[in-house]
Amino acid sequence: MDASEILRIVMNEGFDEAVVTTSSYNSTYLKIANYKLDSIVEKKRERGSLFVTKDKKIAFTSIEKLDIESVRQSINNAKKAISAAKPKEDYYGIAEGPFKYKNTVIFDKRIDEMNTDGAAEFANDIISKVNAENLAGTLHLSSSKYSIATSKGVEASSNGTEARLSLRIFDKGLSIQDTLSSRKLSEIKVEKILSNAELLKYVNTTHRINSGLYDLLYLRSPAGVLLSNVNSMACIGNVETGGFLTGKLGKHVANNGISMYDDGSIETGINSSPFDAEGYPTQRTQIIKAGMLIRYLHNYSTAKKYNTRSTGNAGLVYPSPNTLVVEHKKKQSIDKLIASIDKGILITNTWYTRFSNYLTGDFSTMPRDLAIYIKKGSPEFAVKQINVSSGVGIRISDNMIRMMMNITRVGNDIAQATSWDTLGTYYFVPSVIVENVNVSTA
Amino acid sequence: MQNYEEIADYAVSLGLKKGFDFVEAYIELSEGASYSIEQGKPSGLAIFKSSGIRIRLISKGSLLTFSTNKLDKKTIEDAFRFKPFNGNKVYLSKEKVEKADYKVSEKIKIEDSYTNLPKDLEELDNFVKKEGVSFRSLYVSTGRSKTYLINSEGTRIRSSLPGVSGFFSIIVGKGKESRQRTIEFGKTGGYELLKIDELEHKLEKEIKALHNVLEKGKSLSNYELSKIKNVVASPEIVGIAVHESIGHPSEADRVFGREAAQAGLSYLNSSNLGTKIGSEKVNIIDDPTIKNSYGFFLYDDEGVKARPKILVKEGIQNELLLNREYAYLTGKRSNASARSDSYSNEPIIRMSNTYLEKGDANIEELFSEAKNGIYIKSFTEWNIDDTRSFARYQGNEAYLIKNGEPSVPIKNYKLDASTFDFWKAVSLLGNDFELYPGNCGKGEPMQGVPVMMGGPSVLLKFG
Repeated sequence: MDASEILRIVMNEGFDEAVVTTSSYNSTYLKIANYKLDSIVEKKRERGSLFVTKDKKIAFTSIEKLDIESVRQSINNAKKAISAAKPKEDYYGIAEGPFKYKNTVIFDKRIDEMNTDGAAEFANDIISKVNAENLAGTLHLSSSKYSIATSKGVEASSNGTEARLSLRIFDKGLSIQDTLSSRKLSEIKVEKILSNAELLKYVNTTHRINSGLYDLLYLRSPAGVLLSNVNSMACIGNVETGGFLTGKLGKHVANNGISMYDDGSIETGINSSPFDAEGYPTQRTQIIKAGMLIRYLHNYSTAKKYNTRSTGNAGLVYPSPNTLVVEHKKKQSIDKLIASIDKGILITNTWYTRFSNYLTGDFSTMPRDLAIYIKKGSPEFAVKQINVSSGVGIRISDNMIRMMMNITRVGNDIAQATSWDTLGTYYFVPSVIVENVNVSTA
Repeated sequence: MQNYEEIADYAVSLGLKKGFDFVEAYIELSEGASYSIEQGKPSGLAIFKSSGIRIRLISKGSLLTFSTNKLDKKTIEDAFRFKPFNGNKVYLSKEKVEKADYKVSEKIKIEDSYTNLPKDLEELDNFVKKEGVSFRSLYVSTGRSKTYLINSEGTRIRSSLPGVSGFFSIIVGKGKESRQRTIEFGKTGGYELLKIDELEHKLEKEIKALHNVLEKGKSLSNYELSKIKNVVASPEIVGIAVHESIGHPSEADRVFGREAAQAGLSYLNSSNLGTKIGSEKVNIIDDPTIKNSYGFFLYDDEGVKARPKILVKEGIQNELLLNREYAYLTGKRSNASARSDSYSNEPIIRMSNTYLEKGDANIEELFSEAKNGIYIKSFTEWNIDDTRSFARYQGNEAYLIKNGEPSVPIKNYKLDASTFDFWKAVSLLGNDFELYPGNCGKGEPMQGVPVMMGGPSVLLKFG
């Protein structure tokens, strides 16, 4: 059954509104460990979901299988949920369609049609191109077909594919990890990761450093891990429940040169879609302009509540973020960024970023893998990382607003990135320099 | 469940016919509900139901895990197109063939509880609202998972595990003068285990403590913090330390590099097993069989019978957490540590309920023995490096100990310690004991499984 058929049956049951989605999803994960293809995980799914409202009471149910029996069961569960739910008095409905969709996402047939034999061969080819002491990682390939139908006239579908390669390369007692993500298999070229691994050759020695203030050059993956909290906290639900952007509308929250966007429309964006969870067209929304927070993110209901327009960020009850894009007026090469640092550290990866208080935005994180100490514009040595024999390493303590206010230079290397620390979240972020960061040695 | 079992049986017999060396089928039927209230506003009641099968195949050492929710023969047959690949060879330890059928009882059946969630959570929200909280976010869920596991060796296990869980986040104060706290709740069993009055009591204590720290808390200078050598750590701190610095590094797949690009490595490796980790007072157990615990099971996801595992015995590294693959690799038997968050993901090595064994001293003795130091009762955030060698626990509720008594609250205490220094510093064990629930993340795709962690209060004397 398709989403529209299911919707017709649902709307005969007396609900005020309904959103029906159906999806089929195939994915393959190939695990690389100890320099070998370790194992393969293959998934095939087909399912649906149902969102209904009645007198401002809200219910969600899953549709286990796309057949009439499962649909009837879901409707019964939805009725049960509606009868028990309490009304959400500040709920104002779903977006009123139909809509025209300008945006598309890429569907790569090569990914969709690849079987486990082909995927294993692709993974082994990647492994053969790496020359190091050890290698670990994951290759992930997936294709999805998604449809939505709503009682407010939306009927739409979108097909997309994803390829993600993450490699952690160990060589000469150091390590570096990087991830490539794209909707096209042809863009997954291990050479792009290996060019980053060239950083391992910058340094021949490892030393510890003292606690103190340093300028940090975060490469785009760790930069994105930290900055991807921005469009999440700009969602109005997080503003209402207390986040570091609460009460900051119209105030400077970042350096004057910085602009940030939430963008659900990027064709190559893994988190992109032509429409959001209520079928409203996705868009590029500026959140921060020249350092000032100018906008929160909304779905149709929260936009009505706040007398503004949806930003295409549904989330059926509360908005959810799309893809963060960070831009700066002036961009520089990584070499120029390194040359501009008097006393600092190049951070290639972070680990276990934790907030002690989301309202203030205080967090700490631990650099993992290669970190390079930079003195007077020149890479000097690899910063000693924690292991059982040395027990030293570095920890970063900072605050999100302070960090953004102190992003003074950015790289010309913006690309789609992600990290294991934020799996499922993708961002288009360049490398950034944050000045005067508190670094303590463990 | 019977039709689903037939599909699992079919999968195993088909795999054997096609000449696979090992075949395992795992069917899961899950159902449940969840509800949340954000800043006093309900977000809607969600009721879910799902079913699916996971088939694991080994052919000439190559391991494939295939999962689908389409339980028809044609889709299942897709799994068996798998061919061996050039790569790692997986062999499994020889284990006893088990046949078992077990369930955890439910006084209030999960499906009868769905309609209680909104009114019970509303009661809790009204209580929290009265206690002077600036922001609050409350979430409760309930569910049951029925499983059927069969493999080509003859093992057959059926289970029915219901559970309830909750996640409560509160902020008191405003702006820079604010404190945040997150409390989790989790049990295996029926909805009767969710006791709103007990949660109200717990939240009341936590909110009072947050206000106390905000209003009366002092900050210590870095110099003063560095002089603190005696620390009384509560079961909450001991629990997170046990989980992060003993449990995770004891996972054999981390030790032998399978998780290197995801959750990371371990300070343990093949050449330092049996190393001294802590004082002889330290005995750390991982036990899935604790009744109604959040990490409860009696047979793991490979059908191996569960038992308590002694990870650290009298301060010495003793057992790793093993599944059948790593049991074979280390020449041992599996200790039933294979778990998955659902049929959809491969079972990997996970903790269950991990704790430090308690001692005999009461809390006053710990304070008295400390004389001067810090009592750290709860944490706001923590982190640890990927080899699990060095951790920070940021104090939420912490008190200066003066002359053997807890005194003024301290706002900014951080316990930074290497794993070995922490466990070697254990000098006195309390006679109290508490386990805390959590959802532990690992693997790619990420899997969160329910666990518990804890122990007694302890006195740490750092050199």
